[in-house]
Amino acid sequence: MLRLREIVLVFDGGMGSELEKLGFDGVPEELNITHPEVIKSIHRSYSCADCIMTNTFGLNKIKYKGKYSIKELALKAVENARAAGKKVIFDIGPTGAMIEPLGTLTFDEAYEAFAEVVDYTKDLVDGYIAETFSDLYEIKACILAIKEHSDKPVFATMTFDSTGRTLTGSTPEIVANTLEGLGVDALGVNCSAGPKELEWVVNAFLACTSVPVMVKPNRGLPVLKDGKTEYVLGIDEFDYYINKFIKSGVSIVGGCCGTNPEFIERISKYSGRKVKRRRVAKQTVVNSATKAVVIDGVKICGERLNPTGKKKLKEALLAENYDFLIDEAVAQQEAGADILDLNVGLPQLDEKAVMVKAVKKIQEYVNLPLQIDSSDAQAIGRAARYYNGIPLINSVNGDSEVMDKIFPVAKKYGAVVLGLTMDKGGVPKTAKERLEIAKRIINRAESYGIPKHKIMIDTLVLTASAEQELVKETVEALRLVKKLGVKTALGVSNVSFGLPNRGLLNKTFLTMAMTCGLNMPIMNPMDGEMTDAVKAFAVLSGEDKNSENYIDIYKDFTGTVSALKPAQTEHAAAANLYDCIKKGIKKQAAELCERELETREPMTVVNDILIKALEEVGREYDSGKLFLPQLVSSAEAAKCAFDVVGTRLPKGAAKKAKIALATVKGDVHDIGKNIVKVVLQSYGYEVIDLGKDVDPEAVVEACKTHRPQAVGLSALMTTTVKSMEQTVSALKTAGIQSKIFVGGAVLNPEIAKEIGADYYTRDALELVKTLDKII
Amino acid sequence: MNSSKLIKQIYSYLGFRLVEKTDETDAAILKCLDELQEIAHFRYKYKFFNSPPAFLLKEPYLSYLGASKGVILSVMTLGGEVDARIKFLERTHAAKAIVFDACASAYLEFLSDDYEKTLGELSYRFCPGYGGSDISDIKYIFEILKPEKIGVTLSETNYMLPSKSMAGVIAVGGKAQKTCKNCIVAAHCVYKKGGAKCYDSEK
Repeated sequence: MLRLREIVLVFDGGMGSELEKLGFDGVPEELNITHPEVIKSIHRSYSCADCIMTNTFGLNKIKYKGKYSIKELALKAVENARAAGKKVIFDIGPTGAMIEPLGTLTFDEAYEAFAEVVDYTKDLVDGYIAETFSDLYEIKACILAIKEHSDKPVFATMTFDSTGRTLTGSTPEIVANTLEGLGVDALGVNCSAGPKELEWVVNAFLACTSVPVMVKPNRGLPVLKDGKTEYVLGIDEFDYYINKFIKSGVSIVGGCCGTNPEFIERISKYSGRKVKRRRVAKQTVVNSATKAVVIDGVKICGERLNPTGKKKLKEALLAENYDFLIDEAVAQQEAGADILDLNVGLPQLDEKAVMVKAVKKIQEYVNLPLQIDSSDAQAIGRAARYYNGIPLINSVNGDSEVMDKIFPVAKKYGAVVLGLTMDKGGVPKTAKERLEIAKRIINRAESYGIPKHKIMIDTLVLTASAEQELVKETVEALRLVKKLGVKTALGVSNVSFGLPNRGLLNKTFLTMAMTCGLNMPIMNPMDGEMTDAVKAFAVLSGEDKNSENYIDIYKDFTGTVSALKPAQTEHAAAANLYDCIKKGIKKQAAELCERELETREPMTVVNDILIKALEEVGREYDSGKLFLPQLVSSAEAAKCAFDVVGTRLPKGAAKKAKIALATVKGDVHDIGKNIVKVVLQSYGYEVIDLGKDVDPEAVVEACKTHRPQAVGLSALMTTTVKSMEQTVSALKTAGIQSKIFVGGAVLNPEIAKEIGADYYTRDALELVKTLDKII
Repeated sequence: MNSSKLIKQIYSYLGFRLVEKTDETDAAILKCLDELQEIAHFRYKYKFFNSPPAFLLKEPYLSYLGASKGVILSVMTLGGEVDARIKFLERTHAAKAIVFDACASAYLEFLSDDYEKTLGELSYRFCPGYGGSDISDIKYIFEILKPEKIGVTLSETNYMLPSKSMAGVIAVGGKAQKTCKNCIVAAHCVYKKGGAKCYDSEK
């Protein structure tokens, strides 16, 4: 039994540097079998420590490709570590591959690799340490694998660079909130740098988590000596900082690269000391991998990713058009949302599958924390599992059955839960009754080990048109619930349903609610008047100190229109639509197009203005008078105008033809393909974007489903031309009639012909011209 | 920061040919560079060798190394947040995404060149793929340096992730100069067609 919260524990020190000293290089894990006595003797030299880590840092099926089986190496490593006669902690390091979307490894593949070693060793070790991870998503996969395959303690440490972030951009606060949420027994930092450089990372951990904190620094920063890196920090200085860490409240210490048995011998004197008690403020925090949002003051939760009452989103979800969801998500982030609600519940959909895909797609583009909104506990569970961070779950209510389904999921993934003050009997009329339900939710959550700061309460908005007298009960309930010490939320715009000038009612109600303690309005962040009200409230409530944020946003405000619209555009205004497309002024395109449509037929606007302007831009680009960003600016502006024209035409009438685009398997660079997409759309083509790293079979399947007139394949480097050839061949074998276009930095007409493509086009514009000719 | 060389290189990556530079473009580039400085986390990992590792004992590496006194293998990156920002911009401001992408590529070169000045008298950085060398040689550099520690990994198809990363070979005290000879895109190079060279901006 490890009493981590009570007494200090000392871990061992460097293994790699000890092996190097003895002249061993190659794969350290194999030495468990080839040189067990050497490994045992290093373990024994650390027997002054309380815990010995196995020599298995790189032992997982993704990283280790040697001649021994993972199982035999794992078992032998445990046996070797036992030689020291101390607690044995199985060491798990990262796979060395990047999980998607940064890389190509899937979350499940990483999970399986970690689970395999845990399965072999779960009855043989005293705990597991996931260490030296630099990607929050990967360490999440590792922690889940350990916890779902064993009941042993889990230590989890990540590495940080000199800016205080992990290599994938997570701060200590984000790491602590996520790992604490996943239920690790200790968390902290290892490797990275020396103890001095890690001091402020350690302090950040101590300030934000009540979980025992672990520190295993390197022996200072390495220096270059005769072409070799050497660690030169002295034992006294190492000891000085370790002592300082323990005095600050650190529970577990040890060493990483460069530390040796003498270092651990010196710090072993701290073993068994009483851990300093710490007071940590409990905050309600949700986070993505790179952004933490503390729910205090007022934070905006964007409501636009919910199909209720949104026809276009419904259609997009049914067609699994994730592009539409991504565009909605990025638009809300740009408009100033702090959190995004995500609801994909439609009866015709497999909610579990679509929810996971939507979570993965959105977190690829948007760094805001997500609120997973569903009534299906399994869909919530899947989404929480694949979410890279700590989400908000929307929702439970006072019904026991609902709470018993959702709370275990929330507990497992560390989510914050939104509780609605209703139950089987519906929404109670009075504020006091709603308060009672809130108390019931909080108490039941506590019985699942979910603390109060992980609960938010929604006192539920009813419409003023139908139940006018209950509007003030919602606001009063908010005031009462705040006294319980929880944060609050409301779907504010429900209040105006069925009444004219909804914006006015919404804004007024929002202000009423904020005054009574509303922390998170769930609303449309693109509604400038609503977001203006939130910013003004932050000033008047004292949250925006010295009105700094307010002044920064509104300093140029002169008129009566919402100041969220910038007072000045980056470009001089265009006189007409043609000019607007030529100059690439996206912001004006829709408005000017509307104006043209007042006097002209939609197709006249397309043919006489949009196409002509694009042709002019194209000519100038071809002759070298314009460069790529200018061409794309024009394309973006034209696309905005086309969207407006599209609303005036029968469905699909404005589209020329359907084109499927993909960056081929093995290739993850897709900026070229995305430029082509924008330009094609600007010329009125419908684009089916299959994404990057696309399997040949997936391209074939998409062609069967969507029947595009042409397929565009992109590859950036020589290494993936082979994959392009396989895709072309798969399309031909499957009898796909679509014309095949290829492009990319290393392609040329000869290679295109050699791999069987129908056309090579140099750039986006040439592709459009060729398509215009042949379709 | 001496940004004039950097900006020249950014224009070159953006494919400026006959275009007059405008204040608007300059401003867009400077804005992107400001943002880059905030989110980029430049990391550099290298190892020095007295004699070249085995995979360099072939052409064109031998010609490049010439009579150098040693060789450095290196991997460098701007980190994953730059990739994420480009992705975001592709959705919101596609034109800005292109400028930002070019800025990031040039910024990585710029920071790497700067860093390498601290490592001694070096030749230019020769990356696998240059001069007819096999781009998949990159895997040897990864096997030796293990740059996962600075957050750079290699896909099965030898793509570096994050994308704003480079892996190179540097001759210590070498005399090699950049040339178009054996360049993979030489036959279709837009610079060459226009009578220029892609590395003109470095002069």
